[in-house]
Amino acid sequence: MKAFVRTALAAVAVVATLSACTTTSGGTDPEGAGSIVVSGTYPIESIDPHSAEGGASGKDLIGQEIFSRLTRPDPQGKIIGDLATDWSADAATTSWTFTLRSGVNFSDGSALTADDVVASFRRLLGGDSPAASNFTGASIESSRPDQVVIKTAKPDAALPSKLVTFFILPKTVAQKDAGFFKAPVGSGPFTVKSFTPGETIVLAANDKYWGGKPKLETVTIRSIPEIAARLTALRTGEVDLVWGVPNDQLADLKADSNLKTEAVATNQVYTMWFNSSVPALKTAAIRNALWKAVDFNTIIKSLYPETGALADAPVAPTVFGYSPQQPKTYDPAAAKAELTAAGFDFGKPLRLQFANPEFRPFNQAVVSDLSKIGVKIDLLEKEQAVFIKDLIALDWDVNFQMLGTAGFDAASNLGRLYTCAAKRNGYCNPQLDELLATAGSTSDEGERKTAYAAASKIIWDDAVGMYPMTVQTAYVWNKRLQGFTLDAGGYPDFAKARVNRS
Amino acid sequence: MTRVVLRRLASSVIVMWGAASLIFLIIRLAPGGPALVLLGPDAQPEEVAELTTRLGLDRSLPEQYLAYLWDVSRLDFGDSYRLGQPAMEAVLTRLPASLELAAAAAVIAVCVGLVLGLIAGYRRGGVVDRVTSALTIGLQAFPTFWVGIMLILLFALVLRVLPSSGVGTPAHLVLPAVTLSLPFTAIVARLTRSSLVEEMDEPYATTARAKGLTDRQVLIGHALRNSLTPVLTVVALQLGALIGGAVVVENVFAWPGLGSLIVSAVNNRDYAVVQAATLTIAGIIVLLNLLADLATARLDPRIRLGAA
Repeated sequence: MKAFVRTALAAVAVVATLSACTTTSGGTDPEGAGSIVVSGTYPIESIDPHSAEGGASGKDLIGQEIFSRLTRPDPQGKIIGDLATDWSADAATTSWTFTLRSGVNFSDGSALTADDVVASFRRLLGGDSPAASNFTGASIESSRPDQVVIKTAKPDAALPSKLVTFFILPKTVAQKDAGFFKAPVGSGPFTVKSFTPGETIVLAANDKYWGGKPKLETVTIRSIPEIAARLTALRTGEVDLVWGVPNDQLADLKADSNLKTEAVATNQVYTMWFNSSVPALKTAAIRNALWKAVDFNTIIKSLYPETGALADAPVAPTVFGYSPQQPKTYDPAAAKAELTAAGFDFGKPLRLQFANPEFRPFNQAVVSDLSKIGVKIDLLEKEQAVFIKDLIALDWDVNFQMLGTAGFDAASNLGRLYTCAAKRNGYCNPQLDELLATAGSTSDEGERKTAYAAASKIIWDDAVGMYPMTVQTAYVWNKRLQGFTLDAGGYPDFAKARVNRS
Repeated sequence: MTRVVLRRLASSVIVMWGAASLIFLIIRLAPGGPALVLLGPDAQPEEVAELTTRLGLDRSLPEQYLAYLWDVSRLDFGDSYRLGQPAMEAVLTRLPASLELAAAAAVIAVCVGLVLGLIAGYRRGGVVDRVTSALTIGLQAFPTFWVGIMLILLFALVLRVLPSSGVGTPAHLVLPAVTLSLPFTAIVARLTRSSLVEEMDEPYATTARAKGLTDRQVLIGHALRNSLTPVLTVVALQLGALIGGAVVVENVFAWPGLGSLIVSAVNNRDYAVVQAATLTIAGIIVLLNLLADLATARLDPRIRLGAA
């Protein structure tokens, strides 16, 4: 017994000693006053904004902290100037002139000029970044030291919104320049203090930032893959901010008096395309009947009471070109009758594919509702690489995606994915093509909105897909953190953030 | 002994070649290539084709295989498509964290498992034996994922004595190492117990007792050394598994080890990293096996002499 007591005491002493040398609290500023630790939903694996490395989400988050752009979305998704103070297009919307902010310096003190913008744009076009496909055939010139002109191959009214993913680097950066990205120089609010790909990046305030030096001394962005560990770190104070919090965790976090919670409308919509090229789903009557058979309202209320809302358009309300449509009514009896009348083959299962376990309960609920009227579904949860391969090959019947609209302009969603040439969902409608071409080419905002409204109506009425839910991102943060931007795109900005020491 | 070493070294080279070939083939058999993953769902077919060519993946499989073997023989594993850095550099960045975690878990498992197993075997049928049996079954039955979360909730959230995740201080190592060690501890304890029981029933132990030695003297003087031989082999094998197979623990505790790097590389079809990481782990396992074989030969004269 004595031995047991001695062992137990020794164990307690070891734990106490170890806990004494731990840095468990972001809240106690391991880097000194004004430092915070945050953890998002994806790792940051690369900081080269012009390459395909590291995927898009992590780089878009970090890109806005260390580099500047010509344009950026404001917290509600409206496109505003970043380096560009104003811009205009010619009548054909093939030539866009951007005037640059004066007196902007990189973090090493050198001046940012039109030459840097030109070199960066060419670097983006010359690389393998998926963002380069927004500018196929485009060219750039600098007409004056404070002005650049971008010429597009085709009329492009949405160019300013597409430029939110174009980050500006010094003109000296080579196409492959691993050395530069070990200590990158940018003109954003922060500089990189240290970076371990996929693990942690520590940012330090850039005292040469044109928008004023940030109040925070450092921002540490940590990757914590497991949601339970991430939320525990938030509650213990090791982390100050977490976003993308699942709905079922919010109640506990709201009860914590040290934390604040807010859900922000995003540009994402749960999108369930039908493959209109397969015989079973060729007619709009069948597609609409299937939509009618699913009680999305109840599913959303059950699974996403705080981070979801019934969608009423193919794009979210935060997106330019959003146009609300008449909601579909849940009516399983009518759905079954319409399917029978249309000659739907109840014996052949439809293949429903999705890629992320996060979406499993939602898709299972959809399958459950469809099975009530006798529609058989093979629910296929696929690995990302397989999902993409099959998606592009149209090797599916129903495809689930949480689809965002980059740049908050319907051009990068409706205009890109619903044309006959895009071949993304087997649907082809020349009238829709014409509307989308008009919306993408005129600089008249009213005309663009009208065209997108008509296009949305066709997509909705023909049930190119089911559009069940608009998505909100839940941010939860320690009350000491104030002033950061809760962003609709899921990329919080810390340029104006501060720490309340009281 | 020299011949034992040489024979084992020769078979190790063959094992490494086999591992290198299997890894090369298996990752390429997986549907969906790196170009698709890098370019994402918006990729146009011509962009995919161009990137595939640039990555050298449009060449025939035998051509790629020969180039790969030639590069691997020079320890050149190529660059990671995903991380934009040499694949081996990414692996070596993560390896220390994996070794640290595996070593800590192994120390805990061996110390606790050996003590529990020896006591249980020595006091066969007693209270300690029965408690140990129940405990070891429990330790193996609980999923690592669940145990990790429970430990985080208890020690990080409720007691607030340890950090919940991450790296940096010795305290960060405690919870992941303990979580990772639990099933391993159970294996070591059960194996030590059964091995000891077997040895204590051997004729040589009975003879020793007949000569007047006490059970404790038989244990310390004879049975203990012999019972450790199988334990040593299993510990060496498990160490390799701990280095590359700790992916669940790494995910739960945000521990930047090789396991999570491999899973991410497989998901992203990052061939270079998958190849570099799995071959590194294969190399470690082969090395540990080699050391275990040599240690066993050293402990057990039958193996040493039989080999000679």
